[in-house]
Parts: sequence; structure tokens; C-alpha cells
Amino acid sequence: MDLPTVKRTVIEALKLTNQSRSDDTQIPLTDSTVLFGQNGNLDSMALVALLMDIEDALQEQSIEVSLSDEKAMSMSRSPFKDIPSMTQYIHDVIAAQV
Amino acid sequence: MQARNIMITGASRGIGKALVEHFLAMGDTVIGVSRSESDITSDNYHHYLANVALDADAKRVFANVKKQLGALDVLINNAGIARMNAFALTPVDNVQEIMNTNFMGTFIFCQKAINLLRKSPNARIINLSTVAVPLNLAGEAAYAASKSAVETLTRIMAKELGSFGITCNAIGPSPIATQLISGVGEEKINKLIQQQAIKKMAKLEDVTNLVDFYLNPNSHMVTGQVIYLGGIS
Repeated sequence: MDLPTVKRTVIEALKLTNQSRSDDTQIPLTDSTVLFGQNGNLDSMALVALLMDIEDALQEQSIEVSLSDEKAMSMSRSPFKDIPSMTQYIHDVIAAQV
Repeated sequence: MQARNIMITGASRGIGKALVEHFLAMGDTVIGVSRSESDITSDNYHHYLANVALDADAKRVFANVKKQLGALDVLINNAGIARMNAFALTPVDNVQEIMNTNFMGTFIFCQKAINLLRKSPNARIINLSTVAVPLNLAGEAAYAASKSAVETLTRIMAKELGSFGITCNAIGPSPIATQLISGVGEEKINKLIQQQAIKKMAKLEDVTNLVDFYLNPNSHMVTGQVIYLGGIS
């Protein structure tokens, strides 16, 4: 799966996240938006929900991955910080499985 | 009440089968899971042959349920096995088997169900425990320990899944005449019942009554709880 396709999957999942949030807590879908970590828009359970939605979307394309392993959660620079880093991380996880 | 999609593991006999029949009678759609065939036939009943302890089996079941029904309202983890034996004589293979079915099976099915349950306005997980946990019953070390793990899992899931609107609770039935305890001597059962506040065998209806309580939309504030039958605490 190429990077633009992974990015589209991440953005579609974030749109789902936004559907369950109030107007004043919508997550801007931009590269500079901080998703997780200091000043992030997502708390830990919201991140879990987002990752489940992404895993679900990937599963529909017959890609079985686990995105929230211990390694990812303990990286000094979180791969879930923003849309570009999350996209790169998911791309790498999928590539490593092939 | 709107019909619900309810998944029950260990559905082919005992408490599981009684729950299947109970919910079908209420007009719900029931997904039964067990290692053996079911003799229940209903347009609203879907039976899957699966070993709950196998991740691959669980994946297959949930992928099919997602295609078939799209959403799930309730997961009842009832599949369980018991092997009564003195701790000193319990074969390690038996311990592994008990932990795999009772704990790992519950863990795997809860995890796989989250995404389908999140879509429900009244999502519920109910796990089956046993009074052997609070009674620390001699002769049931592996079984009680596996169910103790299920209780802890239930309490922690309640905390983690609360933000998804999923309540997680457990039921600890006191002795009921099912196949699970058919190998236990009458004397031992009587001795156990004498430890209860209500000194009589429970019935399958006592379990369905408690399940109905947890499933009631008004029970949305009840989570992380374990209720034992018979007045055991």
C-alpha cells in the first residue's frame, strides 16, 4: 500500500472520529495538527479508537496489522504525533509484513 | 424493546443454550459460538463452530458477523471448561487447557468484539465467572484461578471501554445442574451450597434474570461488577 493511500485511510478514520465529537472539538485534518502527545487532540482512549478504525479499514482491504504494539507506544517520538508520522508508521508496519 | 444482536459463546449446552433460547424467545438475533453443533433452529439464530481460544477462529467468526449483521449489541462469554483435581495432582496440560478456554477465549472475544459493539447504543459485555473464586474452593485451583483472571479482566475492561459506551460485568453462578458440574460429587455440591446465604441449587433462569439486569438500558451506570448467585460475596 503506497503512502498516499495510507494517508487517505488515516484521514477517513479521523473523519469518523470527528463525527463523534462536538463542533468545538473537531480535529483539523492538516499535516500540522498534533494528534497525540503534548497539546494533542486525542487522549489515549481516543487514540485507541482511531487505531481500531484504521485497523478495521485496512482489514477490509485484507491487510491484517496490529498498530498499537508496545514498541510503538514506547518510542521516544510517538509515531502517532501527527498525520504524516502516523501515515509513515502505518506504511512501514504494512511493508514489514509483506 | 428493539431487537438486539447478541453473541453467546459456549452456546450449544448448559447456561449458553438456555441464554440462546431466552433471547430468541424475546425476538433478538443470536449468534452462537461453540466447538460442537447446535440443535437450535431459528431464522434468528446463527451458529458458528469455533474454538474460542484460537485467535484465527475468532477472526473468522467476527469477520462473518460483521458481513452478516454489521453490528453487535451484546457479547456473553460463557464458554468454559472445568477439571476438578487436587492442586498437587493437576496435570500442567489441564491447567493450560483451562486457561486457554476460560481466560484467553474471553480475552480474545472481548478484544475482537469492541469495534462491532462500539456501534451499539447499549453495548454490553458479560463474562461468566464462578463462586469458586470468592470461596477459594479446594480442588478447583486451575478453574478458579482462570475465572479470577476473567474477573480482573472484566474490571479493567470496564475502565478502558467505558469511553466507548461499553459496560463490562460478570456473573458468578452458584451450582446449577449443568454438564459442567456433572462430574462433581453430590456431597461436595451440598457442602458448597451450605456455604451460601440461600442454601439451594440455582436454576438457569437465575442466570438469565441477572443477564437481563445487565442488558437493561437503565443499567448503563453498572460496570466493572461481579454478581454472585446464592448470596456468596
